Amino acid sequence: MAANTDRRRINAPSGGTSAPVFAKPVKEPGYLQLLRPNRNRGPNELRKTFLQTGVVPSASGSAYLEVPTTTTTSHSSLIPPTSSLKIAASIQGPKPLPRSAPFSPTLVLTTTVKFAPFATRHRRGYIRDSAERDLGVHLETALRGVIIGERWPKSGLEVVITILEGDEDTWWGDSKAEGGSGSGWGLLNVLAGCITVASAAIMDAGIDCVDMVAGGVAAMTRDGQKILDPCPAEHQDIVAACAVGFLASRDEITELWLKGEVGAEPDELIESATHAAMGSVSVLREVLLENIETKTKVASEGSKRRLEDLEVRD
Amino acid sequence: MPPKAGFSRAKTVGYDDDDIYDDYSEEEYVGEGEGEAMSEEDKEQMAAGVIKVREALGSEYSKVKEVDIQDALWNYYYDVGKSVTFLKNKYAPKAPAPAKPKAVSRFDQAAGAADAKTPTSTGKHMLICGTESTARAMSNLAIDGEGESIASLCETLRDGLAAMSRETPFTERTARSQASSCASDYTSARTKDFFWDVPWGNVPCSRLATITAQPATHKGGLLGGSSKLAALAAKRKQKQQEEAAAKADAAANGLAADKAVALLDRLNIRDKPASAPVRDDTKPRYPKKRSETPPPPEPAPVEEEPIPEPQGIRIEFPNLRAKQPSMFGAILCGSPQDEPRNQHVESALNSFPLPYANAKAFTDADPFSKPSPDDLVRQAQARSAGAPKSKTKTKGSTDGEKLAESVEKLVVETKVKSKNLNVVDEYRNCGLKKVANFVVIGHVDHGKSTLMGRLLYDLKVVDERSVDKLRQEAETIGKSSFALAWLMDQTPEERSRGVTVDIATVPFETEQTSFTILDAPGHRDFIPNMIAGVSQADFAVLVVDAQENSFQSGLKGQTKEHALIVRSMGIQRLIVAVNKMDTVSWSKERFDKVRQATTAFFETASFSLKNITFIPCAGLTGDNVTKRVADENAEWYSGPTFLEALEASEPKPRALERPLRLTINDVFRGSGQNPLSISGQIEAGTLQIGDVVLALPSRETATIKAIELPDGSPADWAVAGQIPTLHLVDIDVVHLRLGDLLCAPTAPVRLVKSFTCKMLAFEHVMPQFVDVFRGKQQATGLITALASILDKNTGEVTRRKPRIVRPGEVARVRIELEGSAGLPLEVGGRIVLRDGGRTVGAGLLESYT
Repeated sequence: MAANTDRRRINAPSGGTSAPVFAKPVKEPGYLQLLRPNRNRGPNELRKTFLQTGVVPSASGSAYLEVPTTTTTSHSSLIPPTSSLKIAASIQGPKPLPRSAPFSPTLVLTTTVKFAPFATRHRRGYIRDSAERDLGVHLETALRGVIIGERWPKSGLEVVITILEGDEDTWWGDSKAEGGSGSGWGLLNVLAGCITVASAAIMDAGIDCVDMVAGGVAAMTRDGQKILDPCPAEHQDIVAACAVGFLASRDEITELWLKGEVGAEPDELIESATHAAMGSVSVLREVLLENIETKTKVASEGSKRRLEDLEVRD
Repeated sequence: MPPKAGFSRAKTVGYDDDDIYDDYSEEEYVGEGEGEAMSEEDKEQMAAGVIKVREALGSEYSKVKEVDIQDALWNYYYDVGKSVTFLKNKYAPKAPAPAKPKAVSRFDQAAGAADAKTPTSTGKHMLICGTESTARAMSNLAIDGEGESIASLCETLRDGLAAMSRETPFTERTARSQASSCASDYTSARTKDFFWDVPWGNVPCSRLATITAQPATHKGGLLGGSSKLAALAAKRKQKQQEEAAAKADAAANGLAADKAVALLDRLNIRDKPASAPVRDDTKPRYPKKRSETPPPPEPAPVEEEPIPEPQGIRIEFPNLRAKQPSMFGAILCGSPQDEPRNQHVESALNSFPLPYANAKAFTDADPFSKPSPDDLVRQAQARSAGAPKSKTKTKGSTDGEKLAESVEKLVVETKVKSKNLNVVDEYRNCGLKKVANFVVIGHVDHGKSTLMGRLLYDLKVVDERSVDKLRQEAETIGKSSFALAWLMDQTPEERSRGVTVDIATVPFETEQTSFTILDAPGHRDFIPNMIAGVSQADFAVLVVDAQENSFQSGLKGQTKEHALIVRSMGIQRLIVAVNKMDTVSWSKERFDKVRQATTAFFETASFSLKNITFIPCAGLTGDNVTKRVADENAEWYSGPTFLEALEASEPKPRALERPLRLTINDVFRGSGQNPLSISGQIEAGTLQIGDVVLALPSRETATIKAIELPDGSPADWAVAGQIPTLHLVDIDVVHLRLGDLLCAPTAPVRLVKSFTCKMLAFEHVMPQFVDVFRGKQQATGLITALASILDKNTGEVTRRKPRIVRPGEVARVRIELEGSAGLPLEVGGRIVLRDGGRTVGAGLLESYT
C-alpha cells in the first residue's frame, strides 16, 4: 500500500486469487475402510493381461502391456480402488554405435525405464529418479541373458520403457497415514510388467533371442501363503515378494528380485514367481503367433501387390 | 593315423564304447610297434613276460596270439597281471548277440520321408545326403565283420549327426567327412583304404551337395528401386517360396510326430502351412544347460506343462490374455483391421457414464425450480435501491460500537496498565514549549540539507567532533561541501548519491520552541516521500538557489511542484530561504530578482503573501542562519535571521480534543525490550501509555507500552503536533507499514473507496487513472466524474460538468479507488493525485460514500 511499489514494471493485479478448498472425502470414521478393495480371485489366479505389439510405428519394435484392475469401481468414490498397470515399450535398433563409442564385440544394450509424471499417485519428476534407474538396471539384467549379442558387434540396442500407470505400493487410503512412501511392493509388479513388455517388443523387433523372457511376481503373506500376481492395494499383510525374469522352455532365471523377510525357504517363493511368469509366457506366446501371422500376411500381400503391378505393366 | 580332430569329435559325439576303443588302440599300437626297433633290454623283458603270461593264461587261452601278448605287455609296461586280465577279457568266448531291432529314431523318420519325396536341393536335402552316405559307409563296416560294436557306433554317430544336423550346412559337411574317414580307420589301417572315401574328383552325383545361403527373413519390401528386374526376381522368389512351402507342408504332414524339426510346431501352428520364414537354427546353437543327455523328446505345450508342485497346487492359466484393453489402451493400439475392437471403443466412448449419475441426489435434484443466484442478487439490489444512505450510516455506527466493545475486552487482557490521565489537562499544566514541525522543501541541489546541517551545527545540536569527522570523510571522496548535508543524510546511498532520499526527522530546541526538522528530498523521484513529510509539517521552508541558472531550473522543476504540494496540503506559512547568497556576493539585485519571480509564482498558486517571508542566507558559510552576516556587501539587509524567522512562525492550532490520528512514519525494532516501535506525527488527539490503538488499513489493534519523545526522554503521554516514538505490543509487525494510520478504536477512520473532493489541478486533468496519496499511503484510483469547476477564492461553481480541468483551476471531482482495501480518509483530509511520476493535482476531501 505504501509508495514503494515498483513503478518501472507491470505489477500484479491488486486482487489476488484464492486457493481451492476441497470437501473432505471422509464422511465418518469407518467410511474409508468400506472402500478398501479385496482380492476377488484365487491365490493362484492371475490378472488378465492385455498385450499388443507394434503400437509405435516408428520404432523397430514396440509393445503395450496392460494389466487392468479386477476390483469393480464403487459408485461412492471417483478414486479407483486399485491402480492398473500400463506400460509401453519401444525398441530402437540394432543400430550402429556412434564413432566415438569404443569397440564392442557384442550388442550394447541400453534400458531406460521412466515413469510418466502422472503414472503414480506420488507425482514423478521429468528426470529419472533412483527408483527408475534401479528398475532400468534390473531390466537390463533380465534382457541381457536372453539376447544373442554376438550377432551384432558394434551395434547398440535401446529399450525405452514408459510406465503410463504403475501399480501402487499400498492402497490410497493407507498411503496418507504411512507418509505416502509405501513399501515398494508395487515396483516388483512394475518390473515384471517391464520384462514381459520388453520381451514382446524385442520379439517384434526381430532380435535373436535364446528364448522369450517373461516376468512374474509372487508374494508371501504373513501366514506364509503364497500369492501369485499380488496387487498391493488388495493386501495389507505382504511380508515378502519376489519378481523373476524367467525363460520358460529353458527353465532358467535371468533376473531375480527378492524383497522383504522371506524366512528360511526362499525357494518356494521364487518357484511361485516362476509360475506367475508361466502365465506371462502363455500370453507372450499368443502374441508372438499373432505377430508372425500378421507379418507374413503383410509380406505376402505386399509381394502379391507388386506382382499385380508387374502384370499390369507388362 | 586317424586325424586327431576326428578322434576328438567322435568323443564329443558320445562315443564311449569301451570295446571299440580298445580295438582301435590295439591296432594302432601294433602298427607302431612293428615300425620301431626295441632295445635289447626291452626284448629280454618282453620274452620273459610272454612266457609268464602264457603260464598265467593257461590252456583255455591257447589261441591268444603272441603278438597280442606282446602288445598287452608293452601297453602295461610289462605288468603281467594287468596284461592277463586284459587278454582274458579280450578273448573271452562271446555269444554272438543278434542285432536288436532299434526303434526308428525321429531323425530317420524325417530322413525317410524326405527321401521318399525325392527332395530338391535344399539345406535339408543336403543333410539327408550326408546321412545316406554315412549309413552306407557304416554298412560297409558292418560287412567287414566287426559286428555289433560297429553297429552301436553307427547308432551313436547317427544320434550325434542328428544333433548336429540342425547346425549350419558347413559343419554338417565336415562332420560327415570326418566321421566317415574316422570310421574307415576302424576296419583297416592300410593306406590305400585310408583314402578310399576321398573322391579325388570322381564324386558320385548322389554325394554332390549344393551350398545354399539361408534366405534372409523377408520383411516384405524390396530394398532397391522398383525396376522390372527386381520385380521379376520377386516373382521368381515368390514361386520358389510357394514351392518350398508346398513341400514343407507335405513334409510336415508326413512328420506329424516330429517336433524337433519344426520350430513352429512348438508354437502350436499345426493347421497352418509352414510358410513363415522362421529359421531352424535358433535352438541347438545354444543347447540347454541340462541337456547332457539327448534332449527330452516332448517339449510339451506350456498350458499342459506339468509344473513341479511341492504343495500339490496345479496352476493353469486358461485364456489369460485379455482381449479388450482399457479405453486408453484401445485408443493407443486401435488398428484399422480390428473392426470389432474399434466398434467397442466407439460404443464405450459414446456411452461414457457420468459419475454420480445414478445417485439419488442427482436424479431427484431439480436445479431450475428455484430462482438462480443471479436472480436473487438482482432482487436484493432492486429492494435495497430505495434507501442506501441511511443504511450505510447506521452500519457505520454499529461497526464502531462493536469495535469499541471488542477493544474494551482487549484492554482488560493486556498487561500494560493505563494511568488514565487526562492528557489535555496534563499538557496545559506542564507548560511545555511550543511544538513546531517544519518541512524543508526545494529543488534538488539547492542546499536544503546543508542549510539544515548548518542550523544544527550552529545551535550546537551536533558537536564539533562529529562535524569534523564528516568533513574529513567528505574531503576524502572529494565532496567537501557535502559535509553539513551529511548531518541530515545518513544512509550510505544518500551520501554516495549526494541527494536526500527519505525524510530525515531531526529535533532541536530554541529557547521558546522545540522544533522538528523534516528534511524532504528534492529529487522528483522521491516526491511521495516528500508528500509524507509535508503531511506532518506545520509550516514549510522553501529553499531556493540564488544563482541564476539553478534558480530558473528550480522554478520549472521541484521548487514549483513542492510549493504547490505544500499549498494543497493546507500549509499557509512559508519561509523562503534564498540560499547560496555567498556565491552571488550578497547582491541585493539578485535577491530582489529572486523574490519577484517567486512572488509572481506564489500569486498564481494562490498563496497569501502576508504569510510568506524571504530570508537571504548562505548555508555553507552559515551567514544569516543563526547570526547576522558579517559580509560588507550584505549591509543592505536588516531583516531577521533564518532562525528568528523560524521562531516567529506560529504552529497550526492543535486539535487536542478530537480522536487520535497518527500517521506512521517509521516502523523499527527499538530494542530487545521493545520489539516493535513506530514513530510518526500525532495529527490530532492525544495518547498515553496503555492506550489501545487501531491500525488501518490492516484493522489490527495494538497497545502502547511506552512513549518516547523525539529528544529520547520517556513520557507518559503525547499530544497532537509531537512526533513521538511509540513502543507497541499485541500486534505483529506485518500489520504495520509506513504510512499506515493509527487511530482511536472508539472513533475509527473509515476505509473509503469512493469520495468527492475539491481538487487543485497542476496539470490538465480528465477522467483518468491517478495514484491517490494520503501521506505515504497510496492507492490506484479513477477520476470517474468532473462535477464542476469552482472559483478559486469564493468557491462558487463557475461551470458544470467540464470536460477537462486546466492547470491552476479548482474542480470538484469524484474519485473511486480500485482494490479491496480503500484508504482511511476523513472529511477535510488532504490527498495528492499523481500520474506517471507527475503531480496532477491536490485534493481536499469533501464527502465520501
